[in-house]
Amino acid sequence: MLDYIIIGTGPSGGNIAHNLFKAGANILLLEAGKLFNKKTFPRTEADTSAMLYWGGGIEFDTDAKMGFLRTRLVGGTSIVNQCLLDRFDDIAFNDWKAESGVQWFSPENLAPYYTKVENKLDLHTFTPSDMNKNAQLFTKSCDKIGVKWGYLRKGQNDCANDRGNDCMACLGGCHRDSKQSSYAGYLRDDITEGLNLQTETEVHQITTNGDTVTVHAFQQGRQVTFQAKNIVLAGGAFGTTKMLLQSGFKKQLPALGKNFSTHPQFMSFGLFDEEINAYKGYFQTVASKDPNLRKKGYKLENVFAPPISAAMLFSRTGSYHQDIMRNYTRMTCIEVAVRDENAGEIKVNNKGRLSVDKPFTEQDRRRRDEGRELIANILTNEGAKKVYASPFAVGLHLMGGSVIGANPAKAVVDPEFRLHGHKNIFVADSSIFPNAPGINPSLTVMALAQKLSDQFTGTTYDKQIPKQLSTESY
Amino acid sequence: MTSKYLSNSALKAINRIGDLMIPRNGEFPAFSEVGGITYIDELVSYAPGADIKDLNMLLTILAFMPTFVLRWLLGKMETAMENKGPLGPIFRQLDIGLRGLIFSCYYTEKVPTTFKGKKPLDIIGFQLTRVED
Repeated sequence: MLDYIIIGTGPSGGNIAHNLFKAGANILLLEAGKLFNKKTFPRTEADTSAMLYWGGGIEFDTDAKMGFLRTRLVGGTSIVNQCLLDRFDDIAFNDWKAESGVQWFSPENLAPYYTKVENKLDLHTFTPSDMNKNAQLFTKSCDKIGVKWGYLRKGQNDCANDRGNDCMACLGGCHRDSKQSSYAGYLRDDITEGLNLQTETEVHQITTNGDTVTVHAFQQGRQVTFQAKNIVLAGGAFGTTKMLLQSGFKKQLPALGKNFSTHPQFMSFGLFDEEINAYKGYFQTVASKDPNLRKKGYKLENVFAPPISAAMLFSRTGSYHQDIMRNYTRMTCIEVAVRDENAGEIKVNNKGRLSVDKPFTEQDRRRRDEGRELIANILTNEGAKKVYASPFAVGLHLMGGSVIGANPAKAVVDPEFRLHGHKNIFVADSSIFPNAPGINPSLTVMALAQKLSDQFTGTTYDKQIPKQLSTESY
Repeated sequence: MTSKYLSNSALKAINRIGDLMIPRNGEFPAFSEVGGITYIDELVSYAPGADIKDLNMLLTILAFMPTFVLRWLLGKMETAMENKGPLGPIFRQLDIGLRGLIFSCYYTEKVPTTFKGKKPLDIIGFQLTRVED
């Protein structure tokens, strides 16, 4: 019998599968999506949405005011995100500890796991020469009006930016294998070495019987089952929570589905007279790193959007739309990412489809509006003739739904990553986040996965805590 | 053209709505002139069967609506984010769904050879460079 079945291949599942495979465990890795590599990643924006995302590109909350981007391929979110890797700070961990009662949440206690992940991946902290004009204008204006900013740290090894490569292309998967996705960073070599990966396998139910867990799935249209001593759910907030809901765990665990948050992002574009070409070069090199904004519960990110996405963000059509798109290369863009309240709930409707309630609270609204106002100020100070604020909220960081906590009445997963009341079902992905940290979650997902991996393999650390390299600092 | 997934009526609806959303304007060609819809099966083929069925049904209904009704609908979609009524979520989903389909077929690298004009991506100046090694 298999030792472990790991369901999901993103930052959590990729890390755990790699560690268990290297430790010699008998494992099976399941993934609902397909396996792509640098040669087969889609090359157009439209294909990217259709091929790599659930819902043909976007899924909605029940009120359809927020769109969620959720990937479906080997490597999961780590294939399409910007691989920005920051540790969480005291603020994030203290809030997690307060909400969950899990005492080991602290930068110091997680440091060994962060370090292990950081040592495995290639990391690059951006420098002034990496900035494109979008970033240059942003930082100049921030300096002028007193907003602190900093360079971002990304998992990458050779983006060929000096040879003219445009990293916006890697939103559909990195065609250079430079981005340190869970595929490039962990799984690619393991697959070559014989890791048992089965793709296009969508799990819809989990059942337990004493020492055995059975996984029921549809594999390219046919029903299949697998059995193992243990399973690890790593499908992210939506995937993991959906599998648990469909398996009937809500009766035992009333918190299942609750406490969903997503760092909703609102983009604003500034129109200039001169050419900016914000889509050229590195896609994202700087962001606000301001203690005041951290306290206020939002941050500003210097980003941009490819043409279809940009067109979607403006709610108008006809000549108004064309006038905006005509100026695509003369636009800059900043988004506010809100540290939102975990007031959302993930459900499954009677057709077996996800149904996500994500109320936008008064506090969320205030943070968004403050952020937008500051962005308008920054863009105007940059010299923008006009500012377009998109009304649409996008949720990229899907968190919670199967939260960790000491109390089974309020949490789904116990402090040792076990489903409360079940000795052989484990979760260590973003679904266990007790609330929104306000910091990019990828590195911490991998650090938590590393902690669970070490729990499985019996790895311990001495009391010499490695030097903390790069906590998100303010 | 024909589609493996969408009916002829559905295709007709996409072109009609597309031309209302993106009419010919200055250097911009109208949606239907570009012909990006030719490759729509490549996008739709990844959707679940139930979603394709729903899309076909919706587009078929829209195909038979008079133009003034379609214009009214587009107006409702454009202001859907402010719509607090019970139909708000429906208009918002329609808005994102239809604009997603239309813009994906318009701002595309895949344009049939029969289109001799300047591609919308070229008009807006979007030329992504991939250094692949």
